[in-house]
Amino acid sequence: MFQALTPTTRFKAALGAIALVSAGLLAVQAVPAQAATPSRIISLSPSATEILFGIGAGKQVIAVDDNSDFPANAPHSKLSSFTPNVEAIAALHPDLVILQSTATKATAVEAGLKKLKIAVYVETTPNTIDQAYSEFTDLGALTGHVSRAKVQIAVMKSKISSILARAKKLTNASIYHELDNTLYSATSTTFIGSVYKNFGVTNIADAAATADSGGYPQLTSEYVVSANPTVIFLDDGAYGESAATVSARAGWAGLNAVVQKRIVVLPLDIADRWGPRLVDLYAFIANALANNPTK
Amino acid sequence: MTPQADSGEISRIWNWRITLSSALLLILVALAAVSFGPIHIQFIDIVKTLLGMKHSTSPENRTVILQLRLPRVILGALVGAALATSGAVYQTVFHNPLADPYLLGAASGAGLGATIALTSTHHNVTALLPLCAFLGGVLAVLTSFFISGKFFAEPNTLLLSGIAVGSFATAIQTYLQQRHSDALRPVYSWILGDLTSASWSVVAWSSIYIAIALITLFSIAKQLDGLMLSDEEAFSLGINPQRLRITAVCAATLATATAVSASGLIGFVGIVVPHLVRGVTRRVTNRSLLSIALIGAAFLVLADLGARTLLSPAELPIGVITAFVGAPFFLFVLRNRRKVNLS
Repeated sequence: MFQALTPTTRFKAALGAIALVSAGLLAVQAVPAQAATPSRIISLSPSATEILFGIGAGKQVIAVDDNSDFPANAPHSKLSSFTPNVEAIAALHPDLVILQSTATKATAVEAGLKKLKIAVYVETTPNTIDQAYSEFTDLGALTGHVSRAKVQIAVMKSKISSILARAKKLTNASIYHELDNTLYSATSTTFIGSVYKNFGVTNIADAAATADSGGYPQLTSEYVVSANPTVIFLDDGAYGESAATVSARAGWAGLNAVVQKRIVVLPLDIADRWGPRLVDLYAFIANALANNPTK
Repeated sequence: MTPQADSGEISRIWNWRITLSSALLLILVALAAVSFGPIHIQFIDIVKTLLGMKHSTSPENRTVILQLRLPRVILGALVGAALATSGAVYQTVFHNPLADPYLLGAASGAGLGATIALTSTHHNVTALLPLCAFLGGVLAVLTSFFISGKFFAEPNTLLLSGIAVGSFATAIQTYLQQRHSDALRPVYSWILGDLTSASWSVVAWSSIYIAIALITLFSIAKQLDGLMLSDEEAFSLGINPQRLRITAVCAATLATATAVSASGLIGFVGIVVPHLVRGVTRRVTNRSLLSIALIGAAFLVLADLGARTLLSPAELPIGVITAFVGAPFFLFVLRNRRKVNLS
């Protein structure tokens, strides 16, 4: 049919039109921020909340998000850290908002707050302990507590190095850090992975990671069995996983960690935050790794 | 199945009444949407501000009304109109009551584009998410076209190739998403759709493309009725069905891709609204296309009002609301229709 040619030419024209149309979509915006010493801070990050209170800026905080449950005297609110609502935040008249870069539409929320002339600190999830410390420094500078932040960092560093010094060198130990029961794990390039790395243990996720998995590869059951970790850390205890459920998984009964009963549920929250309680996480892991196998 | 005969003057007046009431409904809903939010502002102040009166309220309230709420309401209306109209047109072109704007792979393609942007390690690429989503959607639809090739005279072939292309794009998208578990949440929230990123610049570019697409569709609305006949009958009415189908699908795709790149995948609007309007007006003709656009706009603005107030101070994905409200309402309308028209 002769007419069959017509669509093709039309598509070429359409392609050209699309190229034109697309060019119009190239709109990117970036706005810088600056602030005097803020007195009405809203923290939309549990880690930032802990840091702010740790560096003595707690009195300047007027509200914290629904996931910030520590310290107990923080001004808890229903504000959401995952799905922040610009107007709900603005209704409290803050002069500084700490926003997680992983929040839904973080860039749009940041832009909205800046339109209302509210300063915003965008917190990125650290991949190393040093990046966590730089958040202490940043928040110290923003809130006028530079020296307290420095002291806090120094105290944490010395506590952590003494924990590490006391810890037995376990070069032949291997660990598996479980994020969920579909076997997502964390490699040494992630924040939690760098903590394990400090103890000199082998992380079984490292060998399974590919360059593009963002540090959180999904392992297969077979791989975990063949890697045979000596200690299993469960970061999914809140979702019902426990030593019992892990031991009952098909094929896992013979794992070293299962046989020697070295399956540890990580304390809720501490393992996912990078505030002053990081010291507690080191202490917990040191304790879990040092425990001689029972029976 | 034949289109309902136009019963002349009376029907035309009635049609205009429906269009006018739809427009009025949209204005009321939009006004309500601008009026409600976590920050309480006097209604009279809002009206004054909207009418352009200066010093009507505090500068902060002005920013809330003019920079936060208004662009979001307008973007919601644009996206709603685009999705509802495209849905109605797809349903006519494909003789399929289940056709929706995402049918030819537009949704999966855009989803793939967005996932590529979100999982990219280059920050600049991530900032281009709307462009990536737009290109992904359009490319998927074009691929469907090229695969169906000369068989385009047969709408079902295009439909099937659209489904295949969509599944293929979804497969790649899911793979990428699995490889980059850190991008899981942004990808997921994009797929559920939301209007949080509404700003005047987004409104500006999306309104241009959506306007071009919708004006094209409105101008061919009458001829679209001819597509409900056989191709031979359509030819005898002076309509070239193949050309008309291509124009309709291209315009509907432009509208859909723009809507998707501005707000993510908001589901159900493209199916519920056309059937709702046709169900109420008992009209299969595309004369009701303008009403469909207006009701689509009102529906989405209302859904977004729910999205930002129901769980306040958090936000709810708008796609949850459109499906939660849309599905039962749709079933109600379906149940109460005397006969199901395939249009």
